Amino acid sequence: MTGHVVPVSIGRKPPPRPPRQDAFGENIFVIDQSRCIGCNACVQACEECGTHRGHSMIHLDEVDRAASTQTAPMVCMHCEDPTCAEVCPTDAIKQNEDGVVQSSLKPRCIGCSNCVLACPFGVPKYVSEFDQMMKCDMCYDRSSVGLKPMCASVCPSEALWFGTPEEFAATRQGTLVNEWWFGNQYVATKVHTVADAPGSIDVTAGDGERPWQDDPFGLNEMASGE
Amino acid sequence: MARIDRRAATWGILAVAVALGIALFGSGNLRWFDAALVGYLFGTLFAIFGVVYRYLIWLRRPPTARLHRRAWSAFLKPGARARNAAAVPGLVVNKLLLQSFIWGRSRARWLAHQLIFWGCVLAALVTFPLTFGLLHFESVGQNGRQYRTFIGGLGTMTFDSRSFVGWVNFHLLDISAVLVLAGVFIFLSRRLRDPGALAVERSNDFLALAGLFAVSVTGLALTASNLWMGGRFYVFLNTVHALTVILGLMYIPFGKLFHIFQRPAHLGAAYYKREGADGAQQMCSRCGEPFASQLQMGDLKQVLPQVGFDYDLEGGGGSYQDNCPKCRRLMVAFAQGRAVGGFG
Repeated sequence: MTGHVVPVSIGRKPPPRPPRQDAFGENIFVIDQSRCIGCNACVQACEECGTHRGHSMIHLDEVDRAASTQTAPMVCMHCEDPTCAEVCPTDAIKQNEDGVVQSSLKPRCIGCSNCVLACPFGVPKYVSEFDQMMKCDMCYDRSSVGLKPMCASVCPSEALWFGTPEEFAATRQGTLVNEWWFGNQYVATKVHTVADAPGSIDVTAGDGERPWQDDPFGLNEMASGE
Repeated sequence: MARIDRRAATWGILAVAVALGIALFGSGNLRWFDAALVGYLFGTLFAIFGVVYRYLIWLRRPPTARLHRRAWSAFLKPGARARNAAAVPGLVVNKLLLQSFIWGRSRARWLAHQLIFWGCVLAALVTFPLTFGLLHFESVGQNGRQYRTFIGGLGTMTFDSRSFVGWVNFHLLDISAVLVLAGVFIFLSRRLRDPGALAVERSNDFLALAGLFAVSVTGLALTASNLWMGGRFYVFLNTVHALTVILGLMYIPFGKLFHIFQRPAHLGAAYYKREGADGAQQMCSRCGEPFASQLQMGDLKQVLPQVGFDYDLEGGGGSYQDNCPKCRRLMVAFAQGRAVGGFG
């Protein structure tokens, strides 16, 4: 928590101090899709970020509109070894010293969409208006000076959260996880998610099972005595 | 220490040899070569070697190599050659000369980039031929005011040095410096005042602007010395200007300005995407909707292992990459939901 500091993301006032390697300090970004209430505040707030002003980089998807009101946000997970950067033919995607994977370098990006199609989290956006890729950079003008990214600063259900692991442990349930499996591919990310138990999350293992839709209130589980 | 790539180095040396050959023959066996510009020539030769070397190394990256090959084969595809060739002028004007894709991002950035781009193009058109001895001026007969422009040994237009044409001719580099400086100031004002731009700044961004600024200002200082200072400090200013230009030329292969040589790939990507759009589309294995060209997805699946990734599903169940980006996001969300015992 940055206290009473009013974040200035738009305008001409420069940030109070330049980004540096330890700018994030102990802070981590946590995404917990299961807490999303679909209010769209993150989508609106994202547009206010100084690094991609006017363009919302966050994704907010309805998981199955016919069957559920559930929505799921997605920010860039900032992979430790970013697939998007590796498949870029012009080497336009750079990772900062602090692990944040930046949006494409404008002079280099040729809008081929390799990154859009390779990202395991489905994050980069191809913006046809500019013929270039843009993506979430964790509101680098803010997060690099210790402020919350715009989405995390407005999320009412804390599905998007920014703070120290200690603060998380004191106020939230669950374990922080930042390791994923996509088929044979292991991916470690700077952004964490929340799970009941430690370990990695296998994205492809149980796809198709949707217990919250088949049994939204857990009645079947209760009846079966689980 | 990194190993020197012999193949790229050989091509680099070859390019330098060709450039030297052009200088030698173009200047009539150095007859019109201006010895005062020899420092600029060395800077140019270094830049040529560096650019060719880096370009060839860049082309060898797996995704770059594939796009490069695919783009050329799309361009030269039998049956589509006429259409593709007809599209070249439009693409060159739109993407390389007018850079209309910057316009959508910001009018000020587009204007700044155009000023710097045309300033540099103008300067390059004047300085490289001068440095290589391809362009020189001779006075006409005994009339000291009349000059004739020679390209190689070929005499072209004659002009009066006191006329408007003469003034423009002798001040082309001043005009280009003013254009570049105007662009540099617009970019600098953005870079120094916009918090977003400041946050994602890389040292290269400032260095490139500083280089362009230094070259332009020291160049203008030569004219200022000539016109208003009675030629004072000219030798010193000339040395400083030469130094900034030579350092600038040597910086081109390493820094931000290398994008000049990468941008034509934008045209290649346009042909590649068109080829993909004309062909079969990849259906998402989860939602069944088309989301990309089969051409590009096939290429991507070949490039991914080359850069160290394996997104294949266990038991030969295809690839995770067969899912569209939206379904990937949903799969991640479902997996996270499962990990916390369901949504809500």
